[in-house]
Order: sequence, then structure tokens, then C-alpha cells
Amino acid sequence: MEFKQVIGDRSTIRFFDPDKPVEPEKIQVMLEAANRSSRAVNADFVKAVVVFRDDLDDETWEQLKTPTTTVQLDLAPVSIFWYGDMTFAQGAQDRLKELVDLGALPVTHGWSHSYVDEVAYGQVVEPMSRDVMASTWAVSVESGLAINQALLAAVDEGLGVGLHAFDSATAKGALDIPDTWIPMWLMLVGYAAEDRRGGGQRPRRPLEANYYLGKYGNPWKDVPGVQDRLRREGMLQDPMDPEKRAAEVRELAERFGLPL
Amino acid sequence: MTTAADIRDAETVRHWFASAKHDGASAEDQERICGVLAGFADLTAKTPDELVAFCFLRKKDTGQRFLSVKRRVQMNEWIDEYVAQQGWEGKDAVVNANVIRGFLIHNGVAIGGNVWRKRPAKE
Repeated sequence: MEFKQVIGDRSTIRFFDPDKPVEPEKIQVMLEAANRSSRAVNADFVKAVVVFRDDLDDETWEQLKTPTTTVQLDLAPVSIFWYGDMTFAQGAQDRLKELVDLGALPVTHGWSHSYVDEVAYGQVVEPMSRDVMASTWAVSVESGLAINQALLAAVDEGLGVGLHAFDSATAKGALDIPDTWIPMWLMLVGYAAEDRRGGGQRPRRPLEANYYLGKYGNPWKDVPGVQDRLRREGMLQDPMDPEKRAAEVRELAERFGLPL
Repeated sequence: MTTAADIRDAETVRHWFASAKHDGASAEDQERICGVLAGFADLTAKTPDELVAFCFLRKKDTGQRFLSVKRRVQMNEWIDEYVAQQGWEGKDAVVNANVIRGFLIHNGVAIGGNVWRKRPAKE
């Protein structure tokens, strides 16, 4: 699938076909995509535990629910629990030097082993790793980058996905999560029982509401023709039709015996 | 014994029908789901309005209303008891239990129930 089409097709899927298993190969594609994400100091900020429906008992699944993670957890054949690792700085010096040796961090930009030891690691990474707020920020942002690549890879593989909250205390116990990992998102994965595009694109504010040129207060202005091109290429698609969606939800509720 | 007609004009039932667009359903369907709720009202000895009110408590300091987790658990236990009492099995058990949950959800009580699957989640 073309890249822009993948972005356009991705929507949170809340109705999965619980009886259609997901191929482990496709899960690996998602993990490989996450593993290729951009990351500071070439660190492994993100961790994930893949859990197939039958790996946990029903009581544990029930305990993993939150006020906003409900039926979708019952329907998804696969759950990926994403975490951020607060020990990301361990080994950073060696990884940075490896990048220097490879030329990814080139001498033209001031990089050397000495610069890694004295400045990049000594004055930036190591102090930051002792600052909980800064570390949490870094771990969260870097994990988000990886998680998003896994989301898009799933769409490209024809799967439905969505990110949800989960009861982290239950997960920590059930999955033997280390103390240094902090919970990020629960990604539910499966084949969509609903329209695989989630019934159409969700409302978004126009670019000028959030993006600026030069300075805050000077909104980005649409470049003529770009939106038309993105519609043709699949990134911008039709918005949700509430009547059509209501009919679909009714049909799904009848199929799965859900409340209406 | 409470009948569908007895509860149809309760405020929470009217709200449920309007919110879920059950007003547009066939008379037979309306009668059926109201009948399910009426039977549940009998089992719990509570009117529909009382069932909704039961799920909420108020904070002692601020008086703010909040959903009680324990009372939702109690509600799910009553629903299970009702399903067993009626002898519903398979998809009927899930669907009828979720009729009651639908009534509660439309009245602001987020309550989770079961999902009907062709095969059980776990043997």
C-alpha cells in the first residue's frame, strides 16, 4: 500500500473479528517497523510484550479493562503492551561511539569519541537520565515514535489497530514487567469486523488551528493544490457519516450481542 | 409482577428509548426489551429509575455524584442471577443481559458485559 494511503486509512478500530486469528508474521512486521524508528542516542526506549488472546485467562483480561477499554479488549485477538524503559541511558556511550565509527555521527558535525565521553554523554545523556521528568519526556516521545510505526505497519498489512489505556498494575503482575518499564499504550490488533477504515476519517481541526509559520500566531496557510493531491493519493478521505456508522454499529451490536 | 407497560413511562426508560433510538423499533421489539428490563426490576425489587440511581454515590465532602465500582459489580451479579433465573443460554443470555446494560449505559452507567462469539474465548 502507498504510504499516504496507509496514513489515510488508519483509524482506531474498536470492533475486531475475534474468531479470525492474526498471523505472527504480521505481528513481527509491526515489531520490525517499531524497531526501525528514529531514536535519540540509538537507545532502545521502547519495549513491548505481545500477548495472544489465549495466553491469559479471562479473569486477567477482565482486570486489564479500564473505563475506556472495554469491549474492544474482548474482541481483539492480539494485545501488544507497550512500555518505555527508563534505563535507556545504559550503554549510550558505546552506542554513540558505534555511530561515530560508522560515520552516522560524522566528524564534519563535531563528533568524536572524546566528544561522546565529555559532552554528548557526560553533559547531556547521563544528567538527563537522572532527571525523572526529562527521562519520562524522552522515553514517552521516543516510544510514541516507535508505536506509531507499528500502527502504520499494521494498517499496511491489512490489520486493524487501536491504542488504549490498560490497568498497568494487573499487566505488571501478569506479564512480569520490570520495575524500570513505564506503561505507554495497549495496542489492540486484529482483523476489523467493522469497516477497516473505521467508518471514515475522524474530524480534525484545520492546519491553521495548530501549525504556524515563522512564529506563533502566524497560522500556516494552505498551499493551493496540496489537499486535492492528498485526496487523490488517499491521505485525506471522506469524513465519518454518522447515519451510516450508526447502522454499522447496530449491525455489529447484533452480531456480538452488545448493548445498544 | 412488573410488565413492560408498567415501566415504559419511567424517566430513565424514556431516556433510554430516545437515546438508543428504540422509539423507531417495531412494537414487538420495544415490548421485548422493556419486558427484559421489567423482569430485572422485579428480581432486584427496584424501579428502572432506582436501578440507575443505585449505581451512583455522592462524595461526602463535595456532594459530587460518581459511579460506584462496587455497585456496578453488584449490578453485574444481579444480571448474571437474572439470566440464570430465566434459563437463557448462549447468544440469548448475552443479548438479554446486554439489554439491561444498554439501559444503564444510556443513563450514564458505563458497565461492561459479555461479547457473543461463535466459539468461547477460552475452553
